[in-house]
Amino acid sequence: MRVLHLSWEFPPRIIGGIAAHVFDLSRAQTRRWVETHVVTCNFPGAREYENIDGVNVDRSEAYATGDSFLGWVLRMQKNLEEKACDLISFINGIDVIHAHDWIAGVAGIGLKHLYRKPLIVTMHSTEFGRRIGLHNDFQTCIHEIEGWLCFEAWRVITCSHFMRDHVAWCFNIPHNKICVVPNGVDVTKFYFGFNYWDVRNRFANGSEKILLFVGRLVPEKGLDVLIKALPRVLGNGVPAKIVAVGEGPQKDEFQRLADNFGLHGKVHFAGHLDDWTLRALYRVADVAVVPSRFEPFGIVALEGMAAHCPLVVSAVGGLNEIVDHDGTGLKVPPNNSEALAGAITRIIKDPGFKDWIVNNAYQKCLWNYNWDKIAEWTKGVYDAALHEYHNGTWKPT
Amino acid sequence: MRALMLTWEYPPKRLGNVSDHVCTLAHELVKRGNEVEVVTVDDWRPGFEDVSGVHVHKVANPVKTHPMASMLTSDMTASTQIERKASDVIYFLRQNGKNIDIIHTHEWLTVPPAIILKHAFKIPFVLTLHSIEGHRCHNNFGPKSIAIKEIEDRGIWESARIIANTEWLKNEILRYHGRGHWHKIDVVWPIGDGWVDGVVSVYKRALGKT
Repeated sequence: MRVLHLSWEFPPRIIGGIAAHVFDLSRAQTRRWVETHVVTCNFPGAREYENIDGVNVDRSEAYATGDSFLGWVLRMQKNLEEKACDLISFINGIDVIHAHDWIAGVAGIGLKHLYRKPLIVTMHSTEFGRRIGLHNDFQTCIHEIEGWLCFEAWRVITCSHFMRDHVAWCFNIPHNKICVVPNGVDVTKFYFGFNYWDVRNRFANGSEKILLFVGRLVPEKGLDVLIKALPRVLGNGVPAKIVAVGEGPQKDEFQRLADNFGLHGKVHFAGHLDDWTLRALYRVADVAVVPSRFEPFGIVALEGMAAHCPLVVSAVGGLNEIVDHDGTGLKVPPNNSEALAGAITRIIKDPGFKDWIVNNAYQKCLWNYNWDKIAEWTKGVYDAALHEYHNGTWKPT
Repeated sequence: MRALMLTWEYPPKRLGNVSDHVCTLAHELVKRGNEVEVVTVDDWRPGFEDVSGVHVHKVANPVKTHPMASMLTSDMTASTQIERKASDVIYFLRQNGKNIDIIHTHEWLTVPPAIILKHAFKIPFVLTLHSIEGHRCHNNFGPKSIAIKEIEDRGIWESARIIANTEWLKNEILRYHGRGHWHKIDVVWPIGDGWVDGVVSVYKRALGKT
């Protein structure tokens, strides 16, 4: 079986989470006897063609001009589509087209009809969810493109049951067209030798407990809820410190909020960190907190689980499905600082409980969120679509 | 000769002169024993019509909201629908053992689908430029005009032949897009008896049949 992935980002071009997802998924697929091709945007220093662990990566010109981000995206997709046409002629056909999000999906719609092959779409997120409603024409336009993409897809893949319902509701797509395949995590990446105190001392002093927040600094991710919980945690006698990894437009606002609470020096904005430091930080942190208000999946929770870092998450979206309360972590209602503070305190004050949830969480990672299984499940989605395709009348004769 | 005509407007939709130009050309080509499939965008009249032998396929833009009323984004989403309909036409013809010989696209708006169809089906295309962005924006190249000029440029590079309506326009195209393209541009006056024969001879040149 031959699959063509369309993605606007692929390492070394990393903008959001899709790059890592396509990277891990496509490499796992090659291990399951799927011939995998990725068509993506070019990047300074990256080759136009390369083979990474069996994955064939073709990069097309991305720096097309446009009158807006939207105009750029749509023009860039024409370049992706053209590159994919040349690739398909060169390798003499493809079996399945797999597009990731609207930002590469329009190219997938074109290719579906040009070659009459089934289109599979992974909806990593939705504009409606990201913006919590649609507030201007840019967002409405993207929303309509996403709806068109789901309409054209033979199967839509979402990463959680929450997203399955959300996509079905958002675009009026029947549930039987949507399959849930979770994201994965490679646990081996988290186990390497490093000096515990060297890493820890970079972010906190010896007695401080590190509350790790990883995410873009936007309201959707809820760092403000965590900052508001910190005085209560300190009041419970836990010498905690927030380490916030990530950048975003609300950074100044969150910084001001922390200062207004008198938490200067207790909230550390670490900015972007390299993979190695971040993984080490997961291992030295005392609690990983994910206080999101909207979360399609919550890859941060998986990373915490893989690194044996106890989790406190808000019970929204995909997080609600990843974490079992009292089993693999603690769940609190979203937007509730008191409950968040209580949960953080409980984990830090009860090491036995912490060990219990951390071990359960690690086992769940190995069992549910490993890429080999995900590649297998994804292949099942392809097989279902191909079965319909081969028994239908749309296939060219 | 079987031609696939791509245009962003076709009667009864008339926003510019391309509409009637393409309609007349299509009918005259059919009268002379050619076959013409027209694929066009019309949000209000999607569907198929056979008008005196001219097959007209109209598609509607699937995305209705476009920020800043952007012609660019609406054209890009409509392009994908044009590709879909053109592919359907090509697969339908194939079932009957027929093929499209040449694609004829008018103006920058249908250049993106023409390029994609060329790469997917290996059918060369002829591009008629009725005007150019440099004139339309009076040389005030904002982000949108830069993008449109770039699309025109891609069309000029990817097309097999280019038709300019006048000698003057040919020179203007060369002035804006480089004189290296001089050998690719044919001047065909869209007036009188010589027009349709002139277009057919450009098709033949594009196919290397002269």
